[in-house]
This record gives sequence, C-alpha cells and structure tokens, in this order.
Amino acid sequence: MKIDKRLIILWIASLTLFGGVGVATLAAPDWMSGAPGWAIRFFLGYCGIVIVAQVFAVMGIIRRPEDSTVKNSRYRILPVLLLLVFVGLTPARAMQGSDCQGCHRDAAMVGAAFVVNPTTFDTTAHAEIGCPACHTSVGSNHPDDGLVPSKAGCQDCHTEVSREYAASSHYGSAACHDCHNPHQARGATAVSGHDMNRQCRLCHATDAVVERHLEWLPQTELHIAMLPCVSCHTAAQDNVITLYVVKRQKGANIATLEPASYVELQGLAKGKHVESLIDGNEDNYISLTELRLFNLNSKNPLRLQGMMTPETVTHDFRLLANRRDCSFCHASGPDARQSSFIALPQSDGSYRRMAVERGAVLDALYGTPDFYMVGSTRSKALNYIGAMIIAGGLVVPIGHGTLRFLTRKNRQDEKESDHE
Amino acid sequence: MSDTSRIYLQPTPIRIWHWLNAFGIVTLGLTGIQIRFPDYVNIFAGYKTAILLHNVAGVVVAASFALWFFYYSFVARNMLKLYVPSKDEVQKGLLRQAKFYLLTYFLGRPNPHHPTPQNKFNPMQKSAYLAIMFLLMPLLGLSGILLINIEPMRNLILMIGGLKILMAIHYLLACCLCAFLFTHVYLATLGRTAFAYIKPMWTGWEENESEQHETLDLTAPRPN
Repeated sequence: MKIDKRLIILWIASLTLFGGVGVATLAAPDWMSGAPGWAIRFFLGYCGIVIVAQVFAVMGIIRRPEDSTVKNSRYRILPVLLLLVFVGLTPARAMQGSDCQGCHRDAAMVGAAFVVNPTTFDTTAHAEIGCPACHTSVGSNHPDDGLVPSKAGCQDCHTEVSREYAASSHYGSAACHDCHNPHQARGATAVSGHDMNRQCRLCHATDAVVERHLEWLPQTELHIAMLPCVSCHTAAQDNVITLYVVKRQKGANIATLEPASYVELQGLAKGKHVESLIDGNEDNYISLTELRLFNLNSKNPLRLQGMMTPETVTHDFRLLANRRDCSFCHASGPDARQSSFIALPQSDGSYRRMAVERGAVLDALYGTPDFYMVGSTRSKALNYIGAMIIAGGLVVPIGHGTLRFLTRKNRQDEKESDHE
Repeated sequence: MSDTSRIYLQPTPIRIWHWLNAFGIVTLGLTGIQIRFPDYVNIFAGYKTAILLHNVAGVVVAASFALWFFYYSFVARNMLKLYVPSKDEVQKGLLRQAKFYLLTYFLGRPNPHHPTPQNKFNPMQKSAYLAIMFLLMPLLGLSGILLINIEPMRNLILMIGGLKILMAIHYLLACCLCAFLFTHVYLATLGRTAFAYIKPMWTGWEENESEQHETLDLTAPRPN
C-alpha cells in the first residue's frame, strides 16, 4: 500500500491540531461556552473528518477525488455524517464541564431560581470540580429528559465539617445551604466580615442580637457591628485585624459608612486596579506610609473600618464561656495585633487581601484612625509620651520634697520665733 | 504670740465635690491602668469589672463636675473671681508665688497668699485650676463620654478624626491629670503642718493666724 507523502503531512498536521485544541479545551472548559465553544466544536469536527477521511482513503474504503472516475456518493455523504456525529457528541462532553453556564447564566432560559452567575461561580472552589461533580444525573439530554437533576450532599466531600456541625447548636435549625450557597461559597479569607454576618442576619435580626448581648456585653452595638459572629460563637482561631474600605453613602449621615462596592471603588480608581487606591506602588503590600497617605487624604471619601476576623473557621456553633471574658480579646497585648490586612472587593464578589506592614493598628494616629481595640492595640509611642508626662508630675514632689527635707530646720526655726 | 482664728473656707457642696472627685479620679486612674495594660496589670477582678468601674467612676466625676459648676455659677456666684487670675496676679502674683515655692519656702518664710472664701487660690493655683477645670477636665470628660457611646456618637468621633485619635486625646489628658494629681497632693502638704491644707477640705474650716495676715498685707500687695 503506497501512501502519498502529502497525505502523511496532512495527516500529522490534522492530528496535531485536533489533539492540541482538544487538550486545550479539556484544560480550559470555559472555552466551550457560548459562540467560541461552538466554533471550537466545528473546528474539532472538521479536523476529525479530515483524519477519518484520510484513514478511509488509505484503507481504500473511499477513493480520492482525483482517482475517481465516477461520482462517489459515499465520499460526499460520509464526511457530512461524520461532522454531524462529532458535533452531536461534543455537547455531551461539554456537559461534563462548565458549559452548563451556556444556559444557566441566563434567567430568561432557565428561570431566576436556576441561574448561576458565572462571574461569581467561576472563582469558587466548587467551580474547580465542575457542575457534574455535584449534579451527576445531568446527561446530554438535559433538560429534555425531564429528570430533576440530582444534588450531591455537602457531607459527601465536607465530611469533617459535617461531623463538627452535627454536634453544634445550629444543627437541626439550619442546613448547610441555609448559610452557604454552593455556587457562591468561598474560603473565610475571601469573604468580608460583613458578608459573614449577613448570613447570620438571615435568621438572627440585629436588634434581637443587640438586645440579648446588652445583658452582659459592654459597647454592645459596637461589638455586634465590628465582629463577625463566628469569631465568638465558634472556636474559630487565629484572629487578625482586617480593614475594609467603607464609604459614606450619598446623602447619608456621615456616620452611615457602608462597605464600598467594587463598582464604587473602580469608579474612584479611574481605570486602575481598585488596589491602587491604597497600594500606590502596586506591590500588593501596604506600607505604613501608604496607609497614612490614604488616611490623610482629605479629598478621599473612603475610610478604613477594622474588624477582627478569623483566619480559620469552624462550624461548631455554640456559646463559648471564654468569649465572655473580655480579656480573651482585649488582654492579649499588642503582640497579638501585629498582623493586619486590607481586603478589597473584587469584580466576582470575593475579597482580595493585601498584607499590611506590622504595627499598623498600633500606629499612633494615622495607621488605622477608626480602629482601636482597647487593651491590645495601644501605641508604644503614646505609652512613652504618657510616661514622660506623669514623670513630669513627679518632679515637683520628688525635687521639691527633697529640698524641703534638707531645709526643714529653717522652717522649724521660723515656727519657734513665731511662738516667741 | 499668734492669735489663731478660723475661717470657713470650703462650703459643704465643694467638699462633697472635692472628695467625690478625688475618689473618682483615683478609681479612674487605677482602672485606666488596667484597661490600657491588661496583660501586665490586674488590680480589679477581671477586665470587664475594670471597664465597668471606669465607666461608673467617669460618670461620678462628670456628675461632681456638674455639681461644682452649678454651685459656683448659680449659688456662690464667684466662679470667675476664684478661678480667673487678675491682671495683677498674672503680672506680679505668679512670680511672687513661684519665688515662694522655689526659694522663700526653703528659707522658712510664710506663704505670701492667705486664702479667704472669696480669694481661696494663690495666683499659681488659679492659673493651674483654670486650665484644669475649664480645659482639661471638660475635654477629658467629653472624650470619655464619647468613648462610652462610640456607636451613637460615631458622627462626632469621625469629625474629631477617628476613634484612635480620640483614644490618644483621652489617654494623654488622663496622663496630664495624673501628673497634676501628684503635684496637687504634694503641695497640699505644704502648710504649716502636713494636714493644714487637707483638713479644711474635710471640715470646711481653716485655721489662720491673724498676725501673719497683717504682716503679709504690708509686705505683699493683695490681688484684686
């Protein structure tokens, strides 16, 4: 069997293209959604047809046109059939990836209840395992098959968390999805403290929470506003100070500072990254100088609001006795408050953290002017200044008292002369 | 021989104010130390106790300040005369009193100032108390009130520059008051006996010597 050299070159080129695009598609399933996805499928289909046609030609199943003396209907029909088969098969593969978003991003197609915002979902940890990992029953005929898609149980993967949660006081009152939307779920450090509390408020109204804590917690409203509930009501550990950008809302009272949204920050950043509003040199690290510049800019409508947030969260919701001891947070001393971060909202709804230079929350004035944790964020500089003032007050008793003691005889003499 | 006379120097409301103030300020100082340095100081049982005591003592001192202000403004009506030094006192009295504290006291000379109900304080006292009662105490009290009500008074705190700046003001003013307290207590022992100035603040009556009055009236001009 003699094979034309040009055929071999064509064959290798087609295989390379087919394999390359196929591997790239599997590596980045996002490409398969929308119009680009269809273009890729047709390209893959074309490559496939060429390869199959070439194999068939070599095997003599079909004849090349130049060799053909008669009209070969098989040659004309077969590629078309193969193209249809290939294109028909590719959606089935896409169902195993994020191509679900082709329909589920559009409320008009699937209804508002079944919309999954791709911008939000794509950056979650769940996006990495893909839709079919949880919705296993969804096949190529979805939704025409009429089957209700299956949903994996959270405990299938989050075994430890489920076990921990089952022993908590929340268990039975709220299921996982009551607090966590699996299409939006993120790690603790990618969520703001305000967002964490927003979930709690779905059941626990702020007024009722404040009222309950008034019984024992000083500065109740302040604590409720500035602490994620999980910092005290779970055994969450490694608390750090996270600074969020807040903005006075238009027409609102100066005290009504709400977390600034990504869109608001993007508008203020004037085309740059939102991080550039604080991180002037864009090195993903906030120095004390940058912090001061941000805080001292009188034209800046933004301020930084500090919250004590946990680095690692747990799901053992309960009442912890040691959290009622103020010293749990307030007597930890300045060493425990050296680490701080600035978290900025991103376009996908998550928060991105940037480390802040050590000592930011301890800086005397302009590190974090709106954040102070009594007992644990004291400034060393102020300590020294205060000590010097008090020492100044001791100069009179000590200095004058010493001279007074040394000259006591003079006054005794004066007294005696008075009595005479 | 000296003829000892007694003058009623400290009326009851002022004595109540003074000792409420004294007790309150000492409590504020001690609890304040624990509140700022809880990892080193634990005078009171628990941090929360220290905070609550500090808040209560702060309110007591603020209330006693109101009593003082009300009494001198509306009952005795001599607040300005007592607390604002006259031109003569600023020009000459301050120097004369400083000379006494720094020199003539050690030589055994008598205090050039002799208190009367209408002129209780010497020029140095007047200047110091003017700053303390009309500047330091109100600022310290106001910053304390803001710190007790951070959320309701967030507006004002932001206008001042933020919570940390407010805390810095409160802390540094407290240190100034503490420094004054040491000087105040020490100078209170500078009478003819260690308790000569302290006793009137308890009983209201001060023992004075008329002969000395006469002598001093001749040698030193009395303030207006």
